[in-house]
Amino acid sequence: MKRLRKLKSVLGLAGIILIAILVSPVAADGSNIFLQAGNLTDVLRQMSVIGIIAVAMTFVILTAGIDLSVGSILAFATCLTGMFITRSSPGSSHFAQAALAVTVAVGASALVGAANGVVISAFRIQPFIVSLASMIGVRGLAKWLSKNENIDIGFGSDAAASFAGFVNQKVVIVGAFAVLAAIFWIVLDRTVFGRYVRAIGDNEKAGRYSGLPIRSVKIAVYTLSGLLTGIAGVLYAAENHQGNPNAGVAYELDAIAAVVIGGTSLMGGSGSIAGTIVGTLIMGVLTNILRLRNVDSNVEMMVKAVIIVLAVAIQKSEKAE
Amino acid sequence: MRLTWVVVGIGLALAGCGGSSGPRKKLVAFSQCNNSEPYRAAQNARLTKLLAAQPDVQLVIADAQQDNSKQIGQIEAFIRQKPDLLIVAPNERAPLTEVMGRAFHAGIPVICLERDIVQPNYTSYIRSDNREIGRMAGQYIVDYLTKKNGAPRGNIVQIRGLLGVEGEINRYEGAQEVLAKYPGIRTVHEAVADWIQAKAKDRMTEALRAEPKIDVVYAHNDPMAVGAYLAAKDLGREKEMIFIGVDGLSGPGGGIQKVADGILAATFVYPLCVDKAVEIGTRILREPGFQPEKVYTINSVMVTPENAARLEKAAE
Amino acid sequence: MSGGPEPLIQLDGVNKHYDGAQALRDASFSVAKGEVHALVGENGAGKSTLSKIIAGAVQPDAATVRWRGEPVRISSPIAAQRLGIGIVFQELDLFPNLSIAENIVIGNVRMERSPWVNRKELSRFCAAHLEQVGLAASPWTLVRDLPIAHMQLVAIARALSFDARLILMDEPTSSLADDAVDRLFALIRRLRSAGVSVVYVSHKMKEIFEIADRITVLRDGSTIGTRNAADTNIDEIIGMMVGRAIGSESLAPSGPPGEVVLSAAGVTTQKLRGVTFDLHRGEILGVAGLVGAGRSELGAALFGLDPIRGGSVHLNGREFHPRSPADAIRRRFGLLPEDRKLQGLMMQMSVLENTSIAILGRLARWSFLSHSREKGVAMPVLQRMALKSASPEAGVSSLSGGNQQKVLLAKWLLTNPDVLFLDDPTRGIDVGAKRDIYHIIQDLAGQGKGVLFVSSELPELLQCCHRILVLREGRNMGIVDARTATQEQIMKLATAEPVAA
Repeated sequence: MKRLRKLKSVLGLAGIILIAILVSPVAADGSNIFLQAGNLTDVLRQMSVIGIIAVAMTFVILTAGIDLSVGSILAFATCLTGMFITRSSPGSSHFAQAALAVTVAVGASALVGAANGVVISAFRIQPFIVSLASMIGVRGLAKWLSKNENIDIGFGSDAAASFAGFVNQKVVIVGAFAVLAAIFWIVLDRTVFGRYVRAIGDNEKAGRYSGLPIRSVKIAVYTLSGLLTGIAGVLYAAENHQGNPNAGVAYELDAIAAVVIGGTSLMGGSGSIAGTIVGTLIMGVLTNILRLRNVDSNVEMMVKAVIIVLAVAIQKSEKAE
Repeated sequence: MRLTWVVVGIGLALAGCGGSSGPRKKLVAFSQCNNSEPYRAAQNARLTKLLAAQPDVQLVIADAQQDNSKQIGQIEAFIRQKPDLLIVAPNERAPLTEVMGRAFHAGIPVICLERDIVQPNYTSYIRSDNREIGRMAGQYIVDYLTKKNGAPRGNIVQIRGLLGVEGEINRYEGAQEVLAKYPGIRTVHEAVADWIQAKAKDRMTEALRAEPKIDVVYAHNDPMAVGAYLAAKDLGREKEMIFIGVDGLSGPGGGIQKVADGILAATFVYPLCVDKAVEIGTRILREPGFQPEKVYTINSVMVTPENAARLEKAAE
Repeated sequence: MSGGPEPLIQLDGVNKHYDGAQALRDASFSVAKGEVHALVGENGAGKSTLSKIIAGAVQPDAATVRWRGEPVRISSPIAAQRLGIGIVFQELDLFPNLSIAENIVIGNVRMERSPWVNRKELSRFCAAHLEQVGLAASPWTLVRDLPIAHMQLVAIARALSFDARLILMDEPTSSLADDAVDRLFALIRRLRSAGVSVVYVSHKMKEIFEIADRITVLRDGSTIGTRNAADTNIDEIIGMMVGRAIGSESLAPSGPPGEVVLSAAGVTTQKLRGVTFDLHRGEILGVAGLVGAGRSELGAALFGLDPIRGGSVHLNGREFHPRSPADAIRRRFGLLPEDRKLQGLMMQMSVLENTSIAILGRLARWSFLSHSREKGVAMPVLQRMALKSASPEAGVSSLSGGNQQKVLLAKWLLTNPDVLFLDDPTRGIDVGAKRDIYHIIQDLAGQGKGVLFVSSELPELLQCCHRILVLREGRNMGIVDARTATQEQIMKLATAEPVAA
């Protein structure tokens, strides 16, 4: 039953790749531009940040929750990364300074996530509202911390430059996405925690009646959301050579779209990391082929909207069968 | 099942979008940072118009909507298409540096338009001199006050754009270079309005309440100058002072028209830089072996009521 | 008193089924003009289904309905309204944030002619009906600011406002104090004199005999009979309500009861008032009572879902005061909830996943879960359940009700409880599965566990239990020996007036 749904989204990915190959422009030497190794790895790199956030969002949505604050947490993380990597700290190695910056950025983001989780589970306020408030508040926090200015991560030879130089490589960025996706695929599929996440989203009441630790699981998924978004933020800062308090606007919607297209139900209880990876790839390939065909970027948004609705409709229809 | 056919249909429809068939044209790709700013919309329009005169050139414009990541992705897609010329108006300096470098080192001619990046990863950088504009504005203020008050003496209000942007810093400091020599000219009020007309109106209202006598309002772009004018008009003091701005766009909403209408005393054309870009770009496309200069600086022109009509015509 | 020979409404051959269970089986019912007619029966006898059919809220599978002698089809609540039928539900369906006047008028087809709200006309219209029911309140009072008794009067006023000739009242006095009941009865009598008929659905025998002219008894979806109230008595009515042939001999395992495993003394919660009983090891204690008597509430209190305000509970000799189900489970107390779909099963998960969910923590805390270990632990228990043709990987939503219940029982068995509270475990299950579950329950007792068995089916309780605790309005009305008690006895306890504590 679950395998069937995964199959549907994989078919969707195959379909869109096929269409991309068919409509791709052709290079002067006759090769299919879409299929060029450089282009395919570009696509992977471009989708990695959203992909990492989407992995965490899968857990949240599986508990029948939602986290709208991830875009703001991303900005927050990039600012912390920028601030700590550009601080002059004579005597410490570039590696140490980078390690500090990463730890602070990821740790603080995880704390924000934990705060979300605590308010949601202890005060029993709806995740939509809590994460909406968090989205606004954390954005303000990021702007305040950075005085609403971008923090450039330089091109010289300081710690910031080595950090950016190392992290901003396709291998590192895509590798981070791949590793995190693999780890959390296993966590969701093969641990007790993963089972609890699905059970709570399926039927929270029954979960309570079965003695599941609902409060701690919920806090854990939101903390995870903050943590992974923090990591995504570190990568984003390196990619853009910048800590930017205005980054990540509407990224939560892209992440949710990837999760939903991949077959996870917003009502909770069913879904998979594999599906999310597929959903992320579908969006990445779609964006790429639209750009290769030089379609107006505003049309890009409309097409995305249609794909999301179609994806969900296809899943709903097969469920009814 | 029916839905899958709908999807296939859409896919094929997508195939129809963008790109055209026929003999292979020269591809000029322009990565614009934000279509929605009037200055940039004017750039797009000018570029389109000028290149329309070259029928063997296909111009493609991508709008990054002020998102660095988006612009990077769009440029990457351009790189894959191996354009004959890539023009980039970078959204921000640091983020765009690396990807432009990749294009440049892949052998694609890159023109960097109006905004700089951190490393010179381009064939040519076409800029205009905001510092010089600031100096021209400062000098105009000195000349005007000398004529009005018999000596270089008076109160000025400055309305500034987004702090930290190169254009803003230079328009300010350029004027300071000149004004600093005349202690009789005092900046009595300084406000930040982020380039936006409505904000400038609010800030100017505050300035008007605080200052009983203002001689000159130097706004660092035309929309803010207009906003300041409207604020003064609301309080009946618009005849007390003059308003000068920067940008000098043509067309009914532009600064040139405002000078012609008497709202602005003067403005300074902030060149679109597009004309030069097309000139250099065309030579790159058609003259193999042409080596453009690394940096081209386009001079500004002061717009006054005397030359407004002529400049408007020239900009058509 | 009653009107002419022709009944106001006559229903015959009413059949209705829900999800495979037959709610009404060839039932019939007739109400004369200007009479108060009581409709009684046990839980699940079909009273509310029949009321809803009369009110047009539910469509029967088959029925012949005559209104004033003319055949009609009550196809919707609006159709019922047009005929002149009004219903006052037990769960009042008023809009708490709207005013009395708005509530009365909403849905009234004759009033909704113009899109504009005319306050003066509304007031006038409502004032008349409010006076009819004897409610002295401003029509603009918000319903949520009214006491329940007044809310009920508003609901009745609404029924009257569309000139109802027949008003159905479902358990109208369940939330009323004595003086409000008196005023309600006075109103009912006034309505009767005005020629309006009232169908009074209730469990309260004393009230029925006080107000009704005739009484119709339903049982298992069929009409058993109709009597004039003056010609009958409580015992006869109760006998008609329960008179089912009991199955075979008692299934309850014999042997002396073990020591006390659970002891409740004066347990008081929001709904329970001083419930006291002892449960022994190896004993099956039935819990009987009408809907709302407090049976499920007892489970909620013992399972940590509802705070206990007074009294105490001891489990295995130690004080037992769970703050959550997780607490209760740790102390080896399990609860099988009443609604398996809403409260028991994860419908998107498999049989195996549902079975193991409560003991996962014991299998592998926050770490890796070995599929083979999970299966190894769960399969033996599942096999004892004799699930017909269902593999452990099957989605639990594809199972029949009986099998689903067995999965839930397996889940609880895996937690190795000392006491298990089963809330209506055989509801909506076929006969074969019921038998299986009875045997599982016997097994549990045989293993020395204490079982609390809640059910609305008295024969089932008499057959399976050692003793039966009868609740009414949150009070313990008595504990009877299942081997010697009769259904009438239990029903009498369940419907009697509680002695003031």
